[in-house]
Amino acid sequence: MQDALIVLVHGAGIGAVFALIGMSFNVVFNSSGILNFAQGNMLVLGGLFAFLVLPSSPGIGPWFVFLPASALLMAALLAVQGYLTLLPLRSSVEQHSWLITTLAASVIIGAVLLIFQGTAQQTVRSPFPSFWFLGTRVPAPYALSLLLALVWFGLLRWFHTRALTGLAISAIAQDLDAARAAGIRVHRLQILAFAISGLIVGSAGFVAAPVIAIANDSGVSYVLHGFVAAVIGGLGSDLGALVGGLLVGMISMYAAYTYGGEFQDAVSLALLVAVLMGRPEGLFGRPAARRV
Amino acid sequence: MPMQLRRRTLGVRTLIGFILCAALGAGAQPALADGPPLKLGEFLDLTGGGASAAEAARLGVDLAVQEINAAGGIAGRKVQVVTADTQTDPTVGVGEMTRLVSQEKVDILFGPVISQVIMAALPVVNAAKVPQMGATGSELIVPKIAPYYFSLLINAQSQASAVIAQAVQVLHAQSGAIISDSGAQSQSFVESMKKEMATRGMKLTGVQQYQYRATDMTPQLLTLKRGNPDTLFLFASSGEDAGNVLKSLDDLGWNVKVTGNYTVATFAGAALKVAGVDAFHAHDVTGINYKAFTYCDAKALPKPFLDFVAKAKAFRPSDAARLSLPFAATFYDGVGLMKQAIEASGGKTDGPVIAAWLEAHAGDYKGIIEDFAASAQSHFLVGPGALASVYPDRVVEGGLQQRYGCGGS
Repeated sequence: MQDALIVLVHGAGIGAVFALIGMSFNVVFNSSGILNFAQGNMLVLGGLFAFLVLPSSPGIGPWFVFLPASALLMAALLAVQGYLTLLPLRSSVEQHSWLITTLAASVIIGAVLLIFQGTAQQTVRSPFPSFWFLGTRVPAPYALSLLLALVWFGLLRWFHTRALTGLAISAIAQDLDAARAAGIRVHRLQILAFAISGLIVGSAGFVAAPVIAIANDSGVSYVLHGFVAAVIGGLGSDLGALVGGLLVGMISMYAAYTYGGEFQDAVSLALLVAVLMGRPEGLFGRPAARRV
Repeated sequence: MPMQLRRRTLGVRTLIGFILCAALGAGAQPALADGPPLKLGEFLDLTGGGASAAEAARLGVDLAVQEINAAGGIAGRKVQVVTADTQTDPTVGVGEMTRLVSQEKVDILFGPVISQVIMAALPVVNAAKVPQMGATGSELIVPKIAPYYFSLLINAQSQASAVIAQAVQVLHAQSGAIISDSGAQSQSFVESMKKEMATRGMKLTGVQQYQYRATDMTPQLLTLKRGNPDTLFLFASSGEDAGNVLKSLDDLGWNVKVTGNYTVATFAGAALKVAGVDAFHAHDVTGINYKAFTYCDAKALPKPFLDFVAKAKAFRPSDAARLSLPFAATFYDGVGLMKQAIEASGGKTDGPVIAAWLEAHAGDYKGIIEDFAASAQSHFLVGPGALASVYPDRVVEGGLQQRYGCGGS
């Protein structure tokens, strides 16, 4: 029982990172129907920013200063990526060139990391000490990632239901053409959605930097798990991404504990298949009617 | 003959004489520019999980080639390097190997450092009969299926023997658990460890795996902790992975002794960055290294390796500062050994000829590593006799590590 609790605590920690990637997927998906497959490497870039700006034994002060800087930097980068991705598209939901564009962005980021950082995995130390919980020493970045996931979930919920801009993005998610006919500046809001996803993934990468692999080739694993989290939860649902991320994290950790590390990824993908077979719209997704 | 005409004739004769002498003189030099260049293919995992080792391998090969070309080449032929990146992906590796042997028509090959990559590419290289030296440890790569491939790395069986000897004879451990990555080389190690432990009557309490670049091995270690082993055998393929295992041990508060493999020693720098030196002390971490890259007394360091370090630093300072120089030195020696094999075979680069020479005469080569050996049954060029247990965190010039039992803690 004690072992299971330890595994679940660590699973929730890494699962929170997957949930944050899932939420950043949703922000862009809701506004444009685009799945940004560069999100994994964007997370790594957030971690790399932490590596570059934080000293080897960082204090809490600089950490709080650079956290918003990382989020803003990634927001700017994602806005540029969004602009370039949307540039050739008349309608992002009818054309699929974004698939290549976002994958290309991921490959380019990986290549740039390789050129400037080499192949080594960078290490970042957390200014916050680990703490004991349920018989295990929990790395503070796990707890902070979970907290960050909850904060972003709350903020996004408020944004989509209370803020005028958020309501406009929600309108785009429901009917892009109707939103455009109503005078909503769709293209601008879609770029804004890219920037918001940058805020999420930039802050996530910075906070989780001590517990993620900051390397040129590690982004793929994170985007895969974030995607699985988003799909299991239901694409477009932030609650789904939150629950899906935690589920993926905890189940993959439990699989490693029970069946062995070689089954860690296989089990999370099996979970994806099982959920899609039973509930194709995901745990919290809504089935969408389609005119044929 | 008029004086003017006689002077002109003398001048022409002198000029012809100079040309003849120059031609004869040129004939006495090595035919460096005459023959076609000898093409050396670098078949290396320059990106992906094997990258840190492959980059070090490339440093060693490139340095050796520069020196060989400056000294007249191999059998009078200038060496030309062609590089291929397998991306640590067997599928990409097959494509790159095909390019090297079919398009580039390389004469000799160096790399890879990952077992799965060479296993996938073997049909291509076997058909081309190109002699090759890599640094892979899987025991599945035997002369029967890889007749022209030799490994500069100690094989899994040798590592297992050395690791178990350390655990039993020095640590007096009676039981052990194994954690490794999921690569082919690591799986060979696990199988060798099981056999070796059974032979020595040591109890195996559990086996677990993790994937490359994993950062949290807590669940795997938690499973192994239940078996309460005397020591934890760690077989990592990268220093970062080894560091993350030690970090996860600290998270669990499990103070077990860790007996590591060759990577734990050779890439200790990366592991130290991740886990910190305290983790090495807390778990009394040991690793396995070639004796040539170890020392006992800091005042009597091995000169051949120190000379290599100085040359590597002058050749590529930034690479020498960040890469494993012992690993680079291993490939540097490999190129020297291949040169000796080709020249002793009359300049031939045929796979069967070079393989036969290496099987019979590899031990004749005296480089930085002095204990090369191979046979028709084993193409692993380094055996267990060339190994020593080390403290991975006690490092001096160029990465030389102190042998276990030498010096104070």
